[in-house]
Amino acid sequence: MNTPIINIEHIARVYDMGGEKVHALRDVSLNIYPNEYIAIMGPSGSGKSTLMNILGCLDTPSSGIYNFKGLDVKQMDDNDLAEIRNREIGFVFQTFNLLPRATALKNVELPLVYSGISRSTRREMAITTLTEVGLGDRMLHKPNELSGGQRQRVAVARALVTKPSIILADEPTGNLDTKTGIEIMHLFQELWKRGNTIILVTHEEDIARHAHRIVRIRDGEVESDTTNSNPVYA
Amino acid sequence: MNIAESILLALDAVRAHKLRSILTLLSIAIGIFAIIGSGTAVTSLNNTISGQLNELGENNFYITKAPMIQTHDSWRKYRKRKPITYYQAKELQKKMTITDVVSMYNVTGGFTMKSGNYSTDPDVTLIGANEHYLVTANTNIEEGNPFTTEDVTMNRFIAIIGNDVAVKLFPGTNPIGQSIRIKNQQFTVTGLIKPKGSMMGQSQDNIVIIPIGSFMRYYADEWEQSVNIIVRPPAKDALSPSMDEAIGILRGIRNVKPWEENSFELQTNESLTQQFSAFTKYLDLFGLISGGIALLAAGVGIMNIMLVSVKERTREIGLRKAVGAKSNWILLQFVIEAITLCQLGGIIGIVLGFVGGWALSNSIGITASVPLLWVGVSVGSCTLLGIIFGGYPAWKAANLDPIDALRYE
Repeated sequence: MNTPIINIEHIARVYDMGGEKVHALRDVSLNIYPNEYIAIMGPSGSGKSTLMNILGCLDTPSSGIYNFKGLDVKQMDDNDLAEIRNREIGFVFQTFNLLPRATALKNVELPLVYSGISRSTRREMAITTLTEVGLGDRMLHKPNELSGGQRQRVAVARALVTKPSIILADEPTGNLDTKTGIEIMHLFQELWKRGNTIILVTHEEDIARHAHRIVRIRDGEVESDTTNSNPVYA
Repeated sequence: MNIAESILLALDAVRAHKLRSILTLLSIAIGIFAIIGSGTAVTSLNNTISGQLNELGENNFYITKAPMIQTHDSWRKYRKRKPITYYQAKELQKKMTITDVVSMYNVTGGFTMKSGNYSTDPDVTLIGANEHYLVTANTNIEEGNPFTTEDVTMNRFIAIIGNDVAVKLFPGTNPIGQSIRIKNQQFTVTGLIKPKGSMMGQSQDNIVIIPIGSFMRYYADEWEQSVNIIVRPPAKDALSPSMDEAIGILRGIRNVKPWEENSFELQTNESLTQQFSAFTKYLDLFGLISGGIALLAAGVGIMNIMLVSVKERTREIGLRKAVGAKSNWILLQFVIEAITLCQLGGIIGIVLGFVGGWALSNSIGITASVPLLWVGVSVGSCTLLGIIFGGYPAWKAANLDPIDALRYE
């Protein structure tokens, strides 16, 4: 088997809440390989969000091993983490998190601004990516001029534009109606087919069923890690 | 991420909240207005003074009993000095070897000039002068003749009059050869001065010049009877030797003991300009202090608006961090935003200040000058203001935890 992008071994995450120790993650081990389509499931309070934050390098584990493409994330400082988020991880949020006063194009350009890519290259890359997600004709619209589905497509384009190693989607359909949700899931499927690695964080069975592998988290531990031999095609 | 981008972003943030941005800008503009306004007025004043002194003769030096510009406390010291008499001035003129041009004059105001049934307001300036005065005062004769050496030594009852006086006393007729009455003395008009216009709101043509001997005898005020002397050396390199010579001669004439300091003052254009600047610097200081206080208050406003802005944009900051913005870049972005805000206010203040200073200069009849130094000070202090008062909000933004920030409602 090829080498994993993400290699997590026995990680735990403890928060200190006013003297009281809260174990958000107790013992989680996970390998994620290139071009996997994986869903992380769990009810609220299961540690799912904490795991997602750690996977996304927004947070670091209290103990255990986290290797991202062979790099030890635990040893990284804030600037290193920012850099790895910039280059290797594309976030898609439930609430889209677009800059309201910027056009779709500007929103997609944002991560590239922090990569130090020249203005003209940036523009080119953003245009290409927006066209890929089917928004070639909406590039100069601001978020409030776009539908929910279109907004999420912009967000997906923003996640894709840096050509990251993984796309980390946190409840990407949570704020969308069923029909639009299915459209977005279709988009993820397309991205997976093109070779992207996708991590879907959700509590909805219907959504998780699109993935090829489902990891269930409960009480800060992996409850089950199964292959979905019959994924739904949107 | 470069500075230009941050500035564009900052301008966008200003546009997003027009009213509150404008209110903050305004407080900065007021501070800068005070600094630039007084700066413009002072620079204009200084330039006008040195320009006019140079017009009178670049190498002139002035001998007076006391300095022309005095500070409050030095007044007592000079009050005790004996006046420079007309006799002493004449002796000086006689003994000077380097130059012949020794102009002497004395001035009193508030005279009423009469001729026949016509009379002026009691506001005419009477000047007693010798034959060199017109040259050193940069005054030209339009009609008639200047005083000759003989006119002065003989104390002839003749007068050279300014245009304002001529218009009032001799409407429609040529004043040359006619007579005017100053108090009870008759003078024949032998010259008409080419009009000069007004300076600092005061007409320079409302004057009558008579030979200094008669002036000292009939019109010199008991307290103001000291003669003013202007010496014009033939060239710039003769200035210093002429001054040395004049000091030596005057010390002799006025019996100053070797160990005593001069009982009179010598001043050059340069020293006069310097003294004037020393005087106007208080005006500058006033502008700087009041402007500084206004800026300090504005700074608090800047900090407030920036704190609000950071709070409102918490999610945006979280997102920027999530997509790879380092803390330092967030810090820089918000500091630049604060600086941009300050500079916008600064630009408004500079424009208003210059317009204000220009209006003030205009109203007192001097040419306005741009106080480049103060423009620099303003730009600098706006930058500093942004850094100081934008620093803390920016630091707060930079240190937000991306997870909390993204979740912030």
